[in-house]
Amino acid sequence: MTSAKPVRRELTEKQLAFWMLLPAALLLLAVVVYPVGRLIYTSFFDYSNGPLNPPYRGTGNYQQAIHDPDVWNALKVTLQYVLITVPGGMLLGLALALLANLPYRYKWPVRLSLLLPWSMSMAFAALIFAWFFNSDYGVVNDILRRLGMTAPNWLSSPQLALLATSWAIIWKTSSFVALILLAGLQTIPEEMYEAADVDGATPWTKFWQITLPLLKPAIIVALIFRTITAIQTFDVPYIMTSGGPGNVTTTIAMLIQQQTLQYGNFGYGAAIAMVLFLFSMIITGFYLRHIQGDS
Amino acid sequence: MKKMLAVGLTLFVSCLCSAQAATTLRVFVGGQERPDVMKEIFVQYMKAHPDVNVQLEVGGATSEAQQQYLSTVLNSADSSLDIFLLDIVRIAQYAQSGWAEPLDSHIPNKAALMKQYLPAYAAANTYNGKLYALPAFADAMFLYYRKDLLTKYRFAPPKTWDDMVKIAQTITQREKDPNLKGFSFQGAPIEGTVCSFLVPYWSAGGQLSSTQALDPNNAKKSLQFLSDLVKVSKVAPSNSAEIKTDDTRRLFQSGNYVFAHLWAYGWNRFQEDTDSQVKGKVGVVKLPAMTGGKAATCLGGWEWAVSSYSKNKAAAADLVQFLSSKQVSKYLAVNASNLPAHTSLYNDPDILKVNPWFKDALPVVRSAQQRPVSPRYPQLSTTINSNVNAAVAGVKSVDSVVSELQSKVPALLK
Amino acid sequence: MTVATQALPQGRSQAQRRARAWIWLAALIVVINGLFPLLWMVLTSLKPEGELSRLPITYLPNHATLQNYATVLGFDATNPAPKPFWRWFTNSVIISLSSAFLSVLISSLVAYVVARLNIKGKGIIMGTVAAISMFPLITLIVPLFQTMRAAGLLNTYFALIIPYTVLSLPVCTLMMVGFFQQIPQDLENAAMVDGCTRFQALFKVVFPLAAPGVFTALILAFVNAWEEFLLALTLIQREDMRTLAVGITLYQGEFSFPWALISAALVLAMVPVAVVVVAFQERVVGGLTSGGVKG
Repeated sequence: MTSAKPVRRELTEKQLAFWMLLPAALLLLAVVVYPVGRLIYTSFFDYSNGPLNPPYRGTGNYQQAIHDPDVWNALKVTLQYVLITVPGGMLLGLALALLANLPYRYKWPVRLSLLLPWSMSMAFAALIFAWFFNSDYGVVNDILRRLGMTAPNWLSSPQLALLATSWAIIWKTSSFVALILLAGLQTIPEEMYEAADVDGATPWTKFWQITLPLLKPAIIVALIFRTITAIQTFDVPYIMTSGGPGNVTTTIAMLIQQQTLQYGNFGYGAAIAMVLFLFSMIITGFYLRHIQGDS
Repeated sequence: MKKMLAVGLTLFVSCLCSAQAATTLRVFVGGQERPDVMKEIFVQYMKAHPDVNVQLEVGGATSEAQQQYLSTVLNSADSSLDIFLLDIVRIAQYAQSGWAEPLDSHIPNKAALMKQYLPAYAAANTYNGKLYALPAFADAMFLYYRKDLLTKYRFAPPKTWDDMVKIAQTITQREKDPNLKGFSFQGAPIEGTVCSFLVPYWSAGGQLSSTQALDPNNAKKSLQFLSDLVKVSKVAPSNSAEIKTDDTRRLFQSGNYVFAHLWAYGWNRFQEDTDSQVKGKVGVVKLPAMTGGKAATCLGGWEWAVSSYSKNKAAAADLVQFLSSKQVSKYLAVNASNLPAHTSLYNDPDILKVNPWFKDALPVVRSAQQRPVSPRYPQLSTTINSNVNAAVAGVKSVDSVVSELQSKVPALLK
Repeated sequence: MTVATQALPQGRSQAQRRARAWIWLAALIVVINGLFPLLWMVLTSLKPEGELSRLPITYLPNHATLQNYATVLGFDATNPAPKPFWRWFTNSVIISLSSAFLSVLISSLVAYVVARLNIKGKGIIMGTVAAISMFPLITLIVPLFQTMRAAGLLNTYFALIIPYTVLSLPVCTLMMVGFFQQIPQDLENAAMVDGCTRFQALFKVVFPLAAPGVFTALILAFVNAWEEFLLALTLIQREDMRTLAVGITLYQGEFSFPWALISAALVLAMVPVAVVVVAFQERVVGGLTSGGVKG
């Protein structure tokens, strides 16, 4: 836009923005604003004696959450999942995207392994992996036994349970990352590589100096959503280990599910959900600032 | 043709009636509770009550999935459901939450009615002195054993857990089958694991209810027993902390176990599944006792409750009484092989013809104890099962589990 | 093409041969990791239930059978009440497609505002949109149920289409912002000089150029809706209106989990989606980008 733009034009931009944002705004009003408002409101009430006229509790639920060892344990577990499955999913996703983008003739196996896990829901992926890691009938232990190794109890030893569940999460979510990155890769102009070729760049330098920087917006988008979903990890440990052994794989989202829909402690569950929200907000705010800085 | 005519006529009549003033009752049952059989029962009821139209709503397959749905609907004070089928452990929660309607005023002769049922049901369905539900069918934990193997080595079914361990050890050693193991029980962090813990605890003399606090000595005995099964006698496999209810069924059914600790549904699967390796080789008895103690088992089953948001409570209560009646109980026993909650039906020749083993089940269900009745039962259950799971997995020591249970359980029994 | 063409080692130097070997190794790992669990699921679905608890475990089915598929599809005469698999499948397709299109449409408008218009408060818009995804669905479910009941939408497709549209709004918007930002402003200006309105320019120039992003967003939104379980379980209770994600879980019992049967249902649920998704990728994304965005 040039500086010669008339004032009327400025107004149209605002109007245009209004009309373009309107559908999203209406949708959010309809299905997000009320539920979130309700959630915040609920978090100040005490449901522990049932949902009939719950007494006001002020910040009591929040204080209880801060002093609840189960909440701290769940935060620790959740953080472990974030630290394992986010980098894991990103790396595997990047590898998938790069491989799928190579101009080989027979790339359908790579494309299939990129897309098929995505067409399977997280819960069903968890079921498949639970069967996969089954101590008696699982294929993983069978292979280990055939190789003469001891077959461990994947889902009932602390580290292995974390590993097996993380594997399932990475398997499923790397597809999501790869899809976003693949789309990003396809917008990188070919000319940039041609120019680099003229300069005699190696594949490595091209990757580091062209691919990665230009892929940054896509990487950040993938990273934001991978992190947010990792913070909400639920289905996989819920199905594969039920949070065990003990509470080694009980995540914060599982705690919220238990408190609200199983125990009926809607107020306390809402307070934990708000803590989770703030946690996500801080991390995402950090990423978003990066995006804004770029544009 | 005649049948079609009859059906058409019934439909026509019921349309006429519903046009007049019919009461519509919506009944919620889980996807696993044989909705097909339930539908037929409703048809019978509607024939006798042409002014009532009963509709079936089928929920998720597991008790937890149903709980998620029901707690959402009921928290919204929704009146679309009139009756729901509840897992026995949830009655107190639904009563305390004001979701289930007290039935006392709708049932003229409560004391006499409750006497027809197995003794534990009256207590399990009562909260703060009021009756909130009526039993649909019964369930209990049994000890399944390999009759063929026990006969081969001349053992009688074990009366104590120590016997069970010895028999299992002897048979697994002599059979020389590398895949044969001794005993399967539930140790995963799930509801069944609460029973795995409570059965030896009760048997050792422990009690657990709002008036009887957790007894640390017996809790320790029970946990030590479970932990020793896995680590000392090795009668139970090292992955016991992963075993969920149906894993036990699958493992025993594949012929790889001498004993199994399981709900009633196992029997029909062992005897009737085409792939069962133990067909005709299974015996079922009461669970063993701790040495010097009395045998105990966990009561299960499903209960009919009326929603307190229902707009037709009287009609709903009437239907619930019908659904819990001897007649329907018998129908369910014959057509869905559900254990009846009515004591007298265990001698019913029609039922025994289809399910001869119900004869053996009677002493077991008679002695079954209910898990603690508490509005916070779901939380109590998670607390117990995740701790027991930790002890079985060896993540926590038996002593630290006992002290954690001692500190957490009292608040959950209030 | 893009990075690929260039990264592909064409020369004969040792470094390039080594790079090629690494690529092959990476592809092998990624493909085995991605497809083996699925292959295992297919094999499981062909086994009779009893074969699953035989030791040692079998890899190829001893007695391959299509019985599980027949049961899922209701061809099994012994089954008194077959489940309406295709009906559930159709429901899922309708709901997922509608919400995916709506989500992409609405989010592209928001993304356009953020990427292109000269207004204040973009940070707030982006922040709000991202924040939607930070509340675990579990915590919003009671108020959502109340909203849908008040609107009389329970047990209709809309009960799910509306929240699913919102569910995918954040990821679609953030992705599209990245894509729109990469499209040169000059192209759009040129179109407007040629007499296009801003809206026309959006649909005729920006959209086609952002095609990889648009289609990836469609796939992401489609699968988000396809796999969602919790809302689908709660907002739809009529059996013939259920979605497949919920329907498949109805093949299990309170305790019993028929692995072979559920594997067959999973395969049936996955194959058509996979075909559509792969076709999308191959035809549309692959095709359009060869034209590429030339800066």
